[in-house]
Amino acid sequence: MTGLKHAAGISLTALSLSFAANAAMADNIVLSAYSGIFQENYVAAVVEPFMKANPDITVEFYGMPNSAQMLGTLRAQKSSPQIDVMIMDVSVAKAATDEGLFAPMDETVSKHIADLYPQARVEGVNAVGVTFDNLVLLYNTDKVKDVPTSWKALWDKQYAGQVSIPAVPDIQGTTFTIISDKMAGGTNYMESVDAGIKLLEELAPNVQTWEPRPDVYQPISSGTAAIGIGWNARAQVYSNLSDGKLGVVLPEEGSGFQINVIGLVQDAPASESAKKFIDYALSPEAQAAFTEKMYYAPTNAKAAPLIPEAAIKRTAAGVMDKMIAINWLDVAKIRDSITEQWRRRVIPLSR
Amino acid sequence: MTTEALAPPRKMRSGEVAVLLLLPIALINAIGFILPVLNLARFSFNKVSIGGGIENVFTWENWLGLLADRFYLELIFNSVWISLAITLTTLILSYPIALYLHRSSGPWRTFLTVLVISPLLTSAVVRTYGWIAILIDDGPVVSAIRALGLPAPSLMFNIKGVFIGLTEILMPYMILALMAGFGRLDPRVEEAARTLGATPARTFRKVILPLTLPGIALGCLLCFVLAVSSFITPKLMGGGRVFLLATEIYDQAIVTLNWPLASTLSILVLIVFGAALWAYSAVLRRLD
Repeated sequence: MTGLKHAAGISLTALSLSFAANAAMADNIVLSAYSGIFQENYVAAVVEPFMKANPDITVEFYGMPNSAQMLGTLRAQKSSPQIDVMIMDVSVAKAATDEGLFAPMDETVSKHIADLYPQARVEGVNAVGVTFDNLVLLYNTDKVKDVPTSWKALWDKQYAGQVSIPAVPDIQGTTFTIISDKMAGGTNYMESVDAGIKLLEELAPNVQTWEPRPDVYQPISSGTAAIGIGWNARAQVYSNLSDGKLGVVLPEEGSGFQINVIGLVQDAPASESAKKFIDYALSPEAQAAFTEKMYYAPTNAKAAPLIPEAAIKRTAAGVMDKMIAINWLDVAKIRDSITEQWRRRVIPLSR
Repeated sequence: MTTEALAPPRKMRSGEVAVLLLLPIALINAIGFILPVLNLARFSFNKVSIGGGIENVFTWENWLGLLADRFYLELIFNSVWISLAITLTTLILSYPIALYLHRSSGPWRTFLTVLVISPLLTSAVVRTYGWIAILIDDGPVVSAIRALGLPAPSLMFNIKGVFIGLTEILMPYMILALMAGFGRLDPRVEEAARTLGATPARTFRKVILPLTLPGIALGCLLCFVLAVSSFITPKLMGGGRVFLLATEIYDQAIVTLNWPLASTLSILVLIVFGAALWAYSAVLRRLD
């Protein structure tokens, strides 16, 4: 039903455009981001308040399951874009920028860009960070009695055949490689992740699946697996929904960030209203509201004071110093080699 | 009024009728299938930049890289042999059922046919999740094997799981294809063979099997093509340990964003299908 509504929304936008290209008509903007719980929470925390504050602008949320599909849609619509604003993973946004799919993004679009954390402003990407997420340790509270505090719990032999790891090329696997490398004494992941791969080789026999489906959270909540890794924001939401079955820990060794960026589509039909929306999405109020709702850490440094303590504690916002600085655009250069090492050295050891 | 107007309408020649009737489907096929495939072929010569951006150039890099990489050669080899093995298993399991169905009659036959087709009414995803629940390490099957005091193998999230799941999912297709191909199998021929003193085994080998070969060839072609292109079941049941062409295409297209490599692999799958079709028609020619 919602799919139909989205399709209708997009065709309506197209229709309104074909009738008149003036700005007055183009007050229906299409925002594309992740479907599912992201959509539910983002619409409630950011989109609806924005529409309330700007009654002349309607925001249609067009959800897609992953960034790759968003990039594919942008590519397909390059000659006549139907989407105005896009929220996607930063490394995919780099590809979109390289292909000229995003309009330039600077302080003329939003004055809030000046207040963003430095990690949220990535050189060479025409989009800025709108959410920070980080890798966490997940566990089933029935199967894992002592609350783990370290990633090392994954290596514990008592969980043999019960560990769920989304493997590379998924970036959860990539992030975990970098964390493992640091745990094993590696100092520069760009030079070599060999130490991390060696550590992962020891983990391999414990692994139940490298491809948890539909995602890593469900099998651990249901007890199909005992322990694993996943993204914090979704884990926190599913933990709330799991009746206490899904435990979430940010281990003492720290973690790494995943960054979702927000970008203005090149030649977007409703550019002016779209800029207004981006400005709102980056504002401390919207950032705080979304963190409270879905536990993504805010990218606007001024948002933290507005967020209740209980919510901020469940993000990495309080422990920024523990986070490994991952430059995703650099990591893109070594991604193929990491994938190859997993496939040749790590995964075969779990058969 | 001229005589011409009174003359009966000119009859279309059968050739013209054929062209006219084929035109709509040919057009739909050209737009919906041939063009995208050509586009895909073109894409396989594009270059991907670091991070997934696509450069519109012409390079043999993807094709040469594929042929030089042992991982991909193994991937192709694995996909083909696993699919062949699954096809063979499906055939062995389905053949007796199809033969029995072919010989039964009346409401019993209808009932059994519905039973055979009924799995197709449930989505493969649901059935795959069902298999996961049954075959997982602390699930009923493994527990039963353990209860008998036997060493229990891990049946899920590896190649065994993919094998079991795909075989079950493909069986209805195989049974239907076999039944469609059993048309030439006349019970009177079997009776004649038996009357002339052939043992049941000999009757099967010399009469039934040759007459059902067209059905076997059709079923095998269908199941092989479906097995090579199946993606959901290996993805869900392979546990990330089973690398096949279809799952690799997904990873390259959706996760790594390497569309040119994904296109190259897709064209390769088409080549594998072409080879399967060629083998099928070669078998049919020999039968005739």
